[in-house]
Amino acid sequence: MSRLLAIVLALTLAVPALAAAQPREVVLGVVYPMSGPAAQAGVDNKAVFEIAAELANGTADLPFPFYQRLKGMPGLKGAKVRLIFADHQGKPDVGQAEAERLITQEKVTALVGSWHSAVTATMSQVAERHGVPFMNPESSSPGLTRRGFKWFFRTSPHDEHFTQVMFDFFRDFEKKRGVKLKTLGITYEDTLFGADSGKVMRELAKKHGYEVVLDIQYRAKSTSLQSEVQRLKGANPDVWMPTSYQTDAILFTRTMKELDYNPKMIMTQDAGHISPDFIAAAGKDAEGTMSRAPFSTDLIGKRPVAQALNALYSKRAGKDLYDFPARAFTGMMTLLDAINRAGSTAPAAIQKALIATSIPGDQLIMTWDGIKFDETGQNTLVKGIILQLLGGKYHTVYPFDVATRDVLYPVPAWKDRK
Amino acid sequence: MRRALLLALLAAALAFPAAVTLPFPRHVLIMIFLYGSLAVAWNILAGYCGQISLGHAAFFGVGAYTSTLLVARAGLSPWVGMAAGAALAVLFSQAIAFPVFRLRGHYFAIATIAVGEIVQTLVINWDWAGGARGVFVPIKRPDSLWNFQFHESKALYYYVALGLLLLGLGVTRWLERSRHGYYFRAVREDQDAAASLGVNVAREKHRAIAVSAALTALGGTFYAQYIFFIDPESVLPLSLSILICLVAVLGGVGTLWGPVVGAAVLVPLSEYTRVWLGGTGKALDLVIYGALIMLISVLQPAGLVGLARHLRRGTRA
Amino acid sequence: MEIVNFAHGEFLMVAMYVAFFAWALAGLDPLLALPLAVAALAALGWATYHGLIRWVLGGPMLAQIFATFGLAVFLRAGAQFLWGVDFRVVQDPWLGGRVALGPVFVGLPQLAASAAALVAFLGLWRFLARTETGVALQATAQDRQAAALMGIDTDRMYALGWALGSACVGVAGALLAMYFYVFPDVGGTFALIAYVTVALGGFGNVPATLVAGVVVGLVEVFAGLLLAPAIKYAVVFLLYLAVVLARPQGLFGRW
Repeated sequence: MSRLLAIVLALTLAVPALAAAQPREVVLGVVYPMSGPAAQAGVDNKAVFEIAAELANGTADLPFPFYQRLKGMPGLKGAKVRLIFADHQGKPDVGQAEAERLITQEKVTALVGSWHSAVTATMSQVAERHGVPFMNPESSSPGLTRRGFKWFFRTSPHDEHFTQVMFDFFRDFEKKRGVKLKTLGITYEDTLFGADSGKVMRELAKKHGYEVVLDIQYRAKSTSLQSEVQRLKGANPDVWMPTSYQTDAILFTRTMKELDYNPKMIMTQDAGHISPDFIAAAGKDAEGTMSRAPFSTDLIGKRPVAQALNALYSKRAGKDLYDFPARAFTGMMTLLDAINRAGSTAPAAIQKALIATSIPGDQLIMTWDGIKFDETGQNTLVKGIILQLLGGKYHTVYPFDVATRDVLYPVPAWKDRK
Repeated sequence: MRRALLLALLAAALAFPAAVTLPFPRHVLIMIFLYGSLAVAWNILAGYCGQISLGHAAFFGVGAYTSTLLVARAGLSPWVGMAAGAALAVLFSQAIAFPVFRLRGHYFAIATIAVGEIVQTLVINWDWAGGARGVFVPIKRPDSLWNFQFHESKALYYYVALGLLLLGLGVTRWLERSRHGYYFRAVREDQDAAASLGVNVAREKHRAIAVSAALTALGGTFYAQYIFFIDPESVLPLSLSILICLVAVLGGVGTLWGPVVGAAVLVPLSEYTRVWLGGTGKALDLVIYGALIMLISVLQPAGLVGLARHLRRGTRA
Repeated sequence: MEIVNFAHGEFLMVAMYVAFFAWALAGLDPLLALPLAVAALAALGWATYHGLIRWVLGGPMLAQIFATFGLAVFLRAGAQFLWGVDFRVVQDPWLGGRVALGPVFVGLPQLAASAAALVAFLGLWRFLARTETGVALQATAQDRQAAALMGIDTDRMYALGWALGSACVGVAGALLAMYFYVFPDVGGTFALIAYVTVALGGFGNVPATLVAGVVVGLVEVFAGLLLAPAIKYAVVFLLYLAVVLARPQGLFGRW
């Protein structure tokens, strides 16, 4: 037993010794779910992170001022960016351990992560404790930027932003089409993501005067969603608002078809309903599904920056850019830009640079107004858009001035479809 | 000779944080101690008393939630919470013992799974207890033993975890030698024969589960104060119950040191295969983890302690 | 045989992948791929017995749990390693859409799955009760030593038991692939309900499992509808506890 201990000790001491022998470089810890049900997010993001590192190192090129400015990391006299990927397996305690290991042994300059809001919570706590910048490109729980942390930065919108866009859409849509939407049915899965989303929806519905006729928290990854859909059918809300990850989204769609549930409008909370898996598996049947999003694949053609990046990304990942890697890329580039401007790998310098971040919207692949952090570390120039699945692809339908298609309403009933 | 080896091991364990100051190795050891103590607790009920529980995470969760809710909502010290958690776990264990101990073999095991799942579902849907969103342990600076929070260094966590493990081992040792230990083993070997000899089977089982539940709940409080965040997915899932069982089985069920040995092998194995191979997204580390578990179970079904005994017997002969 | 296979869910997952790839690579509808899945799973079950289970039969019950749990982790991770994490779905199976039975709509794939499951169950029951091998299998399950004394090759019987059980999973997997998505972790939820269902009906009694399956299905749906969808599985578990409180060997268990 003590021999085992000795081996363990020797190995864990050898690793940092090796690391210390490398030349000058910027090491970033990137922690995502690389296994388990959410692994697709990790795998797809890894591809885009690698491209971001190559842009910083000058081995890849995006011909736009913002990216040209940090090509080769001139602020650091050409130090190379190196990414260390780690898997948190969707577990908060594993995320915490990885964050600590990356900070104290791999000596990373900053951390990027981590998709799951619960894991981001524990990981960023570690970063805060050690005074290491933590860049969060996509976790959507609003509470994350309300902890008074000084080292936590989030580029993407959170649930309140997103859900507000939905209600803005309802208001403008009602005006435009002369339709009255009165009742809502909300279903959400029973983890932090779903519960937070459900809470925000309830609050905003009350604020804007909508009646929630059905409010169901359901068991994630159920093998059958029959009872849930039966209840939806019975309550018959004007808008059905589901919050689900991929597996449940697919099952919901199939169950709806079986039970002949015909909602007039489906407004989803991204995640499962946006993922390419869902579209591949249920796209035909999910015609008319809407979602909030920070990014849309159909806008790639309209934004030169996105188009250029997609050329690189689609070659590497075998699929087009979509929501998850788009957010990941934006977050990583913001961090790299800050490090470049800081001109050093000292945490305090990077923190200062992050606070001073000001990136104009036209340099982003996103449709946001730009990136500027408030004192809680939240990017305030975010904008959400609403997408609708039409003809097997998501198209932007709101705000109306950037829409590429008209809203399909009501969603055609099953008997009216081919 | 054996005693000297154990003392040397204890000395090494006590000196480790002084020798190694990097947090990650300390973390690995803390996890070894934590899982070790959970497996030791489980071992009392399953190894010594023969009742294979696959729902032990419920006690862990009771401990974690009780102390965390008392800390977060009532501002009490986590030590008070720890005691309350253990007490509640004991009460809970007695409540489920009544229906569940009438069952035998696989029916019992599946009943324990059912209880674990019910508890998890209950908490997920209990908004006051945080529901699916979990509960955060409020951060209190500076570090303090009374608040059971240490941010500057892991050393004190290390010693508390070691203390928990030693407590579990001590209780097991005492039980082993006591009258009740013999009753437990009698119940394990042949429940009916034990009853016919006058052993109050039901009472002994109740006793075993009470001790086991209390010790497990202590671990739950430790976890909450170490990670600062708990939710149903992290402290109540079936996978945790299975893991606790695995640790004990690997090391050797029904032996004093088995659970410790099991933890000392499984925890570094899972931590390091994840660290070295986890970033690729190809789950190679889990492939190896699974293969190793199968290999170990095939080569020595009686656990690593059984293997050691086998080897020792071989060299003596 | 008194062994609970903790990799049961992963066997299901493998069967579903077999059916999916038969469709993706050879254009076979899952119904056509069914015999393929059955054969593949029977082989997997037989191999698992000879490669793994046989070696832990002598040890404590826990080592068996341990061995099959390791197998579960291995299969799950192996599937991710080989086929990635994306969800695969069979598009346009032969049996798609739904059928109207009066005012009630029933999914056609589910209807077919239920029918096929019934057929498979009847086949299994007939095999166990009427054929010589089947009876020998039951004998071995009841008392291994007595069966050996009667000249039954117990080792072969156990392998056969594993192959048969896995073949049934093959049927389930192929049918499920008609309307459910396939990915490495898909086995988990199904397996848990399966364990409780078997225990509810009673171990060692095949028809009891059928009854229990129907009961569990009904309870799940009605609990979701009348109480709350979030707790529907908890109600199933409560039902199990209630039943075994009154009858410690399940509804019709033999041991």
